[in-house]
Amino acid sequence: MIEAHDLTRRYGDFTAVSGISFSVNEGEILGMLGPNGAGKTTTIRMITGFLPPTSGQVTVDGKDLFESPREARRQVGYLPENVSLYPEMRVDEYLAYRARLEGLSRTEARSAIPVALERCLITDVRHQIIGTLSKGYRQRVGLATAILHNPRVLVLDEPTVGLDPKQIISIRELIRELGRQHTLLLSTHILPEVELLCDRVVIIDKGLIVAEGTPQSLRERGTGNPAVRVLFKEAPSGAAEALASLPGVVGVKSGGPDGSWILECAPGSDPREEVFRTAASAGWVLLELGRLRGATLEDIFVRLTTADAAAESHAAEAPADRSDQSQEVVS
Amino acid sequence: MNGVLATYRRELRAYFFSPLAYVVLFFFLVVNGIIFVYLIGQLNDPRSAGGPPLKYFFSASWLMLLLLGPVITMRLVSEELRSGSIEVLMTAPVTEGQVIGGKFLASLTFYGFLWLPTLAYAGMISLYEKVDWGPVLAGYLGILLIGSLFLAVGIFASAMTRSQLLAAMMTAALLFLLFLLGVFEELVNNDVAKKALGYVSIWNHIDEFANGIVDTRRLVYYLSGTLFFLFLASRALEDKKWR
Repeated sequence: MIEAHDLTRRYGDFTAVSGISFSVNEGEILGMLGPNGAGKTTTIRMITGFLPPTSGQVTVDGKDLFESPREARRQVGYLPENVSLYPEMRVDEYLAYRARLEGLSRTEARSAIPVALERCLITDVRHQIIGTLSKGYRQRVGLATAILHNPRVLVLDEPTVGLDPKQIISIRELIRELGRQHTLLLSTHILPEVELLCDRVVIIDKGLIVAEGTPQSLRERGTGNPAVRVLFKEAPSGAAEALASLPGVVGVKSGGPDGSWILECAPGSDPREEVFRTAASAGWVLLELGRLRGATLEDIFVRLTTADAAAESHAAEAPADRSDQSQEVVS
Repeated sequence: MNGVLATYRRELRAYFFSPLAYVVLFFFLVVNGIIFVYLIGQLNDPRSAGGPPLKYFFSASWLMLLLLGPVITMRLVSEELRSGSIEVLMTAPVTEGQVIGGKFLASLTFYGFLWLPTLAYAGMISLYEKVDWGPVLAGYLGILLIGSLFLAVGIFASAMTRSQLLAAMMTAALLFLLFLLGVFEELVNNDVAKKALGYVSIWNHIDEFANGIVDTRRLVYYLSGTLFFLFLASRALEDKKWR
């Protein structure tokens, strides 16, 4: 649907985005991930036609964004990072204005506005003045204007920034819902959002694409061996040796102050059953037993976006530390 | 055309939903009223030369446009640049020219609305003496033409900056410069310069219009000036993208 080819954008001497190419396929939700200042918003702005690229090309549905901007823009619905609406207008007035701006006819607008209100769950505030709405509701009004002209692609720039946790959850649900009917490009620096929502991820850092793939494949890329966490009620003597001798276990280390053990396993093996049997036959009281998720997307993200050549040695251990902290039991 | 119409309606609505409109309208009418009352007083003096009151009225009250221009236009583009709403506006299938055009027409409509109550003066005078409507209409045409040039200058300044204050100051400075050209006409001794300055002097123009003279040179001057500044404004808006 969207093809970005070799996009470069300079602001004076500063290169914000250098030679990015990617495509958003029909029907998918593509996440664009990157730390603050990585060039996400600049890239998004070039894709929506707000910023012309210094060099490179964007096509939407085969139409060049700068040669036939009207046709191309009509296919895109855009929610910018800072949703800025006209505060003195009422919600339905604003939508009517946007409909006209998008070139919808009066009858088209009359049927499109209630649908957009309904889909974004703001039908009950349609007569309210926008200036009196909360940030979450304003975000929804922004989304409603983005889907108003029924574009084939939605481009959302950090749609959950500045919302409270409850609003974040409901906006995410809304995004997932919208993803069923639109192709979606979603920029964010919030990792769980990507794992929750996206089919594919592009990671951007310092204006370059540093990784691309499904969340799953990216995770696997950074995963070491699987690991299992074991916690006994009282650490029995000889347990470490017994655990280490189990098939599939390649190493045992102490898991932390709670007295648990971390079993490193050979790829593809799962020694949990063996651990249980061993514990049961020896009469050790097993309190917890679970598989540890390998590297999270966060680890990959941190590793990719902090791996400076200068900090290479540091970076080699830093992500390892992080992964210990962020490891979760996923039973 | 959709872009022009959508922008026009939204801006016109914005004028009348903001307190600014009513404050401007109030002071405009107060000052105009004072001018009118003073004029009638003067003309009633047996020693005065006499003449149609509205002629003098136009010659005096256009000066207020020097202040009115910046106030009416300062918000138009600056506000969008500052709040960031320009981003959703310019990613819609509309061009810069359409947006500027819509905003200009809205400000011109509001400007016309400000002048509407002054028709009552002509009405009042017509109760006491015969009004020659030709010069009155020409006077209003002059007011409209000068106004559209001033508003175009204001929109240009507004498209240059995200600060409304700066936009208003730039507009006021530009308009004052234009105004000064008319003053310099009286001061220079060089014949060519005098003639050139006389041609662009708004003082002369409004006097002509108020006397009922509609000179096509003036029409060309104001219409091309208006279009020129609107063109600059849409260029300024486009230029924002490249930096």
